[in-house]
Amino acid sequence: MKISLEWLQEYVEIKESPEKLKEDLSMIGLLVETIAEAPGTSVLEVEVTSNRPDCLSYIGIAREVAALYRRPLKRPPQQEHLHAASERIPYRIEVRDEDLCPRYVALVLDGIRVGASPAWMHRRLEAAGMRPVNNIVDITNYVLLEMGHPLHAFDFDLLRGGKIVVSRARPGELMETLDGVQRELDGEMLLINDGEGSVGIAGVMGGLNSEISLSTTRVLLESAYFNPTSVRRTSKKLGLSTEASYRFERGADWENTVPAIARSCYLIEQLAGGSIAGSLQDVYPGRKEPAKIRLRQKNASALLGVELSGEFIESTLRRLEFAVEACGKDTWNVTCPTYRADMELEADLIEELARFYGYQNIPATLPPSKGVGSHSPVYGIEQAVREILIGQGYSEAVNLSFALEPDHADFAPLHGERIAIKNPLTEDTQYMRTALAPGLVRSAKRNFNYDQHLVRLFEIGKVYGAGPDGSPVERNVLGILGTGGFTDQNWVNPAAEYNFFHLKGVLAALLNGIRIRSFEIVPTDEVGWLNSSESAVLKINGEAVGVLGAVSVPLDEKYKLRQPVYLAEIDFERLLPVAFSPISYEPLAKYPSVKRDMSIVVDRDLAYQNIRQGILELAIPELTELDLIDIYEGEKIPAGKLSMTLRLTFQDREKTLTVDRVQGFIDTVLSYLSNTFKAGLRSL
Amino acid sequence: MNDLIEKLRQRFEEDFATITGMESWKAVRDKYLARESGVITTELKKLRDLPKDQRPAFGQAMNQLRALAEERLQEKYAAAKAAELTAKQRHIDVTRPGFPFALGSAHPIKKLQAEIEQAFVKLGFQVMNLHEIEKEYYNFEALNMPRNHPARDAQDTFYLDETMLLRSHCTSVDVHAMETILPPIRAVTTGKVYRRDPADATHSPMFHQVDVVVVEEGITMGDMKGMLEAFLKQIFHPNIQMRLRPGFFPFVEPGAEVDISCIFCSGKGCPKCKQSGWIEILGAGMVHPKVLRMSGLDDSRYSGFAWGLGIDRVAILKYGVDDIRLFFENDLRFLKQF
Repeated sequence: MKISLEWLQEYVEIKESPEKLKEDLSMIGLLVETIAEAPGTSVLEVEVTSNRPDCLSYIGIAREVAALYRRPLKRPPQQEHLHAASERIPYRIEVRDEDLCPRYVALVLDGIRVGASPAWMHRRLEAAGMRPVNNIVDITNYVLLEMGHPLHAFDFDLLRGGKIVVSRARPGELMETLDGVQRELDGEMLLINDGEGSVGIAGVMGGLNSEISLSTTRVLLESAYFNPTSVRRTSKKLGLSTEASYRFERGADWENTVPAIARSCYLIEQLAGGSIAGSLQDVYPGRKEPAKIRLRQKNASALLGVELSGEFIESTLRRLEFAVEACGKDTWNVTCPTYRADMELEADLIEELARFYGYQNIPATLPPSKGVGSHSPVYGIEQAVREILIGQGYSEAVNLSFALEPDHADFAPLHGERIAIKNPLTEDTQYMRTALAPGLVRSAKRNFNYDQHLVRLFEIGKVYGAGPDGSPVERNVLGILGTGGFTDQNWVNPAAEYNFFHLKGVLAALLNGIRIRSFEIVPTDEVGWLNSSESAVLKINGEAVGVLGAVSVPLDEKYKLRQPVYLAEIDFERLLPVAFSPISYEPLAKYPSVKRDMSIVVDRDLAYQNIRQGILELAIPELTELDLIDIYEGEKIPAGKLSMTLRLTFQDREKTLTVDRVQGFIDTVLSYLSNTFKAGLRSL
Repeated sequence: MNDLIEKLRQRFEEDFATITGMESWKAVRDKYLARESGVITTELKKLRDLPKDQRPAFGQAMNQLRALAEERLQEKYAAAKAAELTAKQRHIDVTRPGFPFALGSAHPIKKLQAEIEQAFVKLGFQVMNLHEIEKEYYNFEALNMPRNHPARDAQDTFYLDETMLLRSHCTSVDVHAMETILPPIRAVTTGKVYRRDPADATHSPMFHQVDVVVVEEGITMGDMKGMLEAFLKQIFHPNIQMRLRPGFFPFVEPGAEVDISCIFCSGKGCPKCKQSGWIEILGAGMVHPKVLRMSGLDDSRYSGFAWGLGIDRVAILKYGVDDIRLFFENDLRFLKQF
């Protein structure tokens, strides 16, 4: 709300500089964002929170200033007698839906000369950000800003039945509002009718058909209290927010209806030459009571952590126009002003005390610790994975949790249906992601576009899907992406391209690092978004927990990647129960181990895993390690064959191995390879 | 005899002078002193062929010569060894670049998230990171924001259906904490939250928050201030100042807006803090009695406080990032800076 100091001075004396006032108002909860200079005045931009509709007015702000600086509040003059000497214009007010309109006050004036309002009023309205229209409309706006109560003026001659009927609209009813827009109403919207048809949407905007014009001479003023929820619903549904609806939906003051109309009447008589032709009518069937709250000094002190004196409590509340009545020791019955829509509980009063005690004066204390803290279950593994991958050169990515329409089909996850958003913002937020892969691929692509082709990324984040019963399921997933050179081009080692085995290797290092000792990586051709010949499944205890491989050729083309991209996606939560297996120390061997390399020639399409598995199944207890250290394919061996160099490490924990025993092991392995795979030693 | 010895000595000296390194040193040593075939050793062996009376003098002279040779060789050993070690050294250009070992980087928000959790665990908090897809009740109603509450305007929310939504703040977790933990409650949650804000430099439909709730008997607003101060000093800087202003959040009463002294100008006033010297950093307050009650806690017995802040906002302030979207684009030129 824009507050011009020249205008505010009308209601309370201000000796402070605008800067000081800005600071002091901010510290009692009326945050002043900026001070702007306008002709002859400074204008404070006050941010009023939604619980304080009473501060959406000059008097409301002045009341706070008066309470803060302990100065009197000056109220503007108003017409005290709201009765016509003779009822020149009889009219009727009929409220049919009291639930949505607990109070409706009206007054009719005649002899009005519609014209421009005076310069001082123009200036004030403009300083507050309002456009002057004519004296009648300006007066209702002026009083709205001054007193915080929305008013509406109808041209009485345009009210066809000479009366006002307040009732819900007929579903589908149409009306044209003051802004010239034709609006369709529903059966829950409250309308102001004239007996023939609608002339306004209650608390939101008047109708064009009863607008004040230069030819208007007779005016019906409306000052009502409408149900906040109803106004809010109507305003939202119509997408129409006005100064009036903004105040009504936050809660206006039903006791302010008559004063607001009395003030308007005074101004109209002064500035537009009218006089009362139809006496005040006040339809107020069920009296609304002000909030009464019991306040205990002990509770206030306990909640704030400071000792508040009875004197401070009473004087603070009285300055804020609360009625305070002592009842028993250090206890008060407090009657709240009706404009304080936010008052309901003792805690609300305690906040008032805290505001004027000063939040800055409450001493900071630390509550004694009552227990030991604990991390979330995934914290340990997440930190470990992060450290390992960062150490291996991967940077951590965070993508938005949303997915595009084609993502689900392009990167079909292992399981589950996707979750759609009912009210997406754009096509980018239509679905929740079911995989990390699409986001990581797009991130890689973005880097390619900026000429960064060596990309290593990982992301630990949730994917979303529908569970078997349709309810949403969120799972933590780990995605790893690698592409480009294995290292930056350098002079030490020749450049190597990142490939499947780099990804597989980093995954193995990661699993070792979080002490998952037994896992398998087996070929698969079931992952649509990976190349069938370059993809594998990670299995732990026989259960698939993730996939890894090269992004398929069609996706490669679709995303214009132009370089092979490798991706792994691992169900993070399934790693949890098997990670960090207990450490059990094994004594170091006392005797030397023996290493033997052998190059064997096998059929080209024989999988290494078969050889390895077969050798291990020979169950030679002394064979402690088996590594593949070289692969050769070329002129020196027959076509359709390749040579694998295996390194076998033997160790006897009891005694030194003799040459003969080692040769025996080698012979066993060789005869197995020869019998099973027709593999022979490569002749040099 | 003396001639022979003198000749031997001269020959030794000539050879000795040729020593340049360990190899030639060893050759000279072996030539003269080898146990079986050394020149001096061999000559000494001839002792028994000499007449008896000449033997002592010859022996003495030869032994002197051997001692001399040993002494001379010993003198030269260190230099020869040094020359040998020098020869073994490799010569490289150390100014060439080292091998480009790659090191990745932690995401700034994730890093802060972990730091924040760590800080609270030290303060005795239980980390509760729960689901992001939430029942409308926990996001709004249980936090004293019934349907049609104006405060809902500030949080335009993504809905999945009539009752399920993407949480618009982490405060929903506070309710779960209060429902499931018997006081004393000290819970903290960090994670993603969602709002229907079109992405621009200061808005993102997804961002991150941390939310804290403490409920015990006798918790005061002073306790809230103390813990806030400890936390903010740890996250930003031990020298920052903090101030609380009255603020409004439906789930707390009294409510507070928390400012820290501007980290760009140390509170002197600059464009970043709109010359005020303060930067609004988070919302806090004493848990609203209605919220306690709805969570099944006796509001006449327990009190507590809660606060929440945007982790992205902290990162933006801490690192001077000028566009929130950078956090979610994963441009390595950005990520590598953290």
